[in-house]
Amino acid sequence: MLEQLINWFPEWARPFIMPMLTIAIVLQVNLGVCSYLILLERKLSAWMQDRIGPNRVGPWGLLQPVADMLKLLLKEDVIPGHVNKFLYVLAPGISVFTTMLAFAVVPFGPVPRNLSATDGQFPFIIAPGVDLGLVFIFAVTSLAVYGIILGGWASNNKYSALGAMRASAQVVSYEIPLGMSVVGLALLTGSMSIEKILLHQADAGILGWNIWFQPLACVIFFAAAMAEAQRLPFDLSECEQELVGGWHTEYSAMKWGLFFLGEYTHVITISFLTSILFFGGWHFPWIAEPESQYLGSTLVKVLVLLMKSFAFIIVIQMLRWTIPRFRFDQLMGLAWKVLIPLATLNVICVMIVKQFHLNQWWLLPMSAALFLGAGLIGTQSSRPFARRTVEPVAEAHGHHAHAH
Amino acid sequence: MQWNEENGLLLIPLGLGCLAVWWLMPSAKQRPRILGGLAALAAILMMQLMLLPPAGDYVRNVLFFLFAAAAVISAGLMITDRNPVYAALWFALVTLAVCGLFLLNSAPFLSASTIIVYAGAIIVTFLFVIMLAQQSGTATSYDQQPIQPAIASIGAFILLGALLFTLQEWGHIDGKSTNLHAEPGQFIALPEGIQPNPLSQAPHDNPHEIGSLRVLGRSLFGDYLFAVEIAGTVLLIATIGAIAIAPRRSQGTL
Repeated sequence: MLEQLINWFPEWARPFIMPMLTIAIVLQVNLGVCSYLILLERKLSAWMQDRIGPNRVGPWGLLQPVADMLKLLLKEDVIPGHVNKFLYVLAPGISVFTTMLAFAVVPFGPVPRNLSATDGQFPFIIAPGVDLGLVFIFAVTSLAVYGIILGGWASNNKYSALGAMRASAQVVSYEIPLGMSVVGLALLTGSMSIEKILLHQADAGILGWNIWFQPLACVIFFAAAMAEAQRLPFDLSECEQELVGGWHTEYSAMKWGLFFLGEYTHVITISFLTSILFFGGWHFPWIAEPESQYLGSTLVKVLVLLMKSFAFIIVIQMLRWTIPRFRFDQLMGLAWKVLIPLATLNVICVMIVKQFHLNQWWLLPMSAALFLGAGLIGTQSSRPFARRTVEPVAEAHGHHAHAH
Repeated sequence: MQWNEENGLLLIPLGLGCLAVWWLMPSAKQRPRILGGLAALAAILMMQLMLLPPAGDYVRNVLFFLFAAAAVISAGLMITDRNPVYAALWFALVTLAVCGLFLLNSAPFLSASTIIVYAGAIIVTFLFVIMLAQQSGTATSYDQQPIQPAIASIGAFILLGALLFTLQEWGHIDGKSTNLHAEPGQFIALPEGIQPNPLSQAPHDNPHEIGSLRVLGRSLFGDYLFAVEIAGTVLLIATIGAIAIAPRRSQGTL
């Protein structure tokens, strides 16, 4: 059917049909899913806090996202007089553009092994065959911080500037553990391509999923990716209690909405990546094996991947209401003193296993030992960075010390 | 005089470009920017005629000119913009455009890592510092005038001229094209007298492998092992130095 569709177009246009179709599907599904994820997040938070949540629009509040969307689109779009107009308008666009671009190399179904642009197979990925998919994702998501920095600076507001500065320091720091955590995967698989990492796990079966060999890397990746997406508990840059709204204080209507569209797209990308890199992607024993060819097996594979990703989205949203926000020095300490050394040690473990041809299963106790060791050091060290003692101030300024 | 005939032409766009940059640099008294813009445009067009890229297919040519023009124009704007924040943003655009050129010349890993390191980290740090120094959205009075515009632009263009001259010598060309017999994925042909490194472990026979991660790794840790180790040591020394300079906890940091 798809082949007929392609053949209906003139020769020169045929290579563009499949990518256009895929982009259209991904974009539409993403927009729809994002709005319903917001409803889910509100409902989840309500249940976790023993409330009812939005229940007025439609049955069980199911039409709430539609109402929210209409409200965002129809609201008056205020551009304050004291902002730098060009950058102020540009920032939300950068935010959405970069996060959407990152999704281009993420497969969302079983990518056919011998794929060509014109033979009518649905590719299940926007840009198939990118050899450096992981590096591409890190490169693009590292640009996402420009949206926040420019938005914060152009707003010409002290709260926004503080939020933007926090965001820039945070993203630059957390990029290092994020990149280091997947080096182990690349070494184990021998490739940086996301499709190849997925196929490698699918061919090896459920005991070949990377989570068995790299559980520590999975935790580091997940934490660092959350920090990159500025999700709670890492959302120091928009920290409502101290910074009003952080970098988006001055934004309203759909420009504000675009920032959150970017954030939710980022969350979806993280969930897809975690389930693909560490949990076998569309592979599931018995029902979705690489050789299963029964009717509708492709659909089952897509559903398996979607369910895995959905589970991670739920985890991310429940984390939001479970772990309180860090203090900023704790946040930087976590990246530089905990995650980066652990990720480096993890890479060294993988190198040892590969160099001396040890059994891959040695990686599981190694990761556990690293994790427990870090925990022990954390609890036993006599001066945790959380405890900041205030020096008694000199006599003349004594009353100030009480005031603080 | 042989030299003059071959390379004298190169001096015209170089001088013109130098003049344009000096003219466009922010200064106390307003100069009409259109003059500088026209001079810069003329310099770019003349230079483009002299240094044509290898003739590739249509798409490749279009992309090359797109990225190259973006890189050169953003670089000019980066130097001449009054507002430091805009200068940093133009710098980011220069990096992205140059990464596009890397990608065109089959170096995807170099391109991606340059984006991560430069656009994603270093320029973000620049912006961080600029925002600390200058918090309002509109430009303030200081930090807007170059200190020695004339010396800086002349020095930079002498450097650029030396670079172009070396490239021409290296490519054996007579002011027309840098590469008449380019292999696919190659910008400048290997000059006649130079043999490929016999110690190189990278397979040169497969043109599709050029620039892939495997070949890059073998080349870095085979051909250039010494340079890589030296670079790593220098960075380590810089890190130790930064830790040594940073004030101790007892001296009042967090």
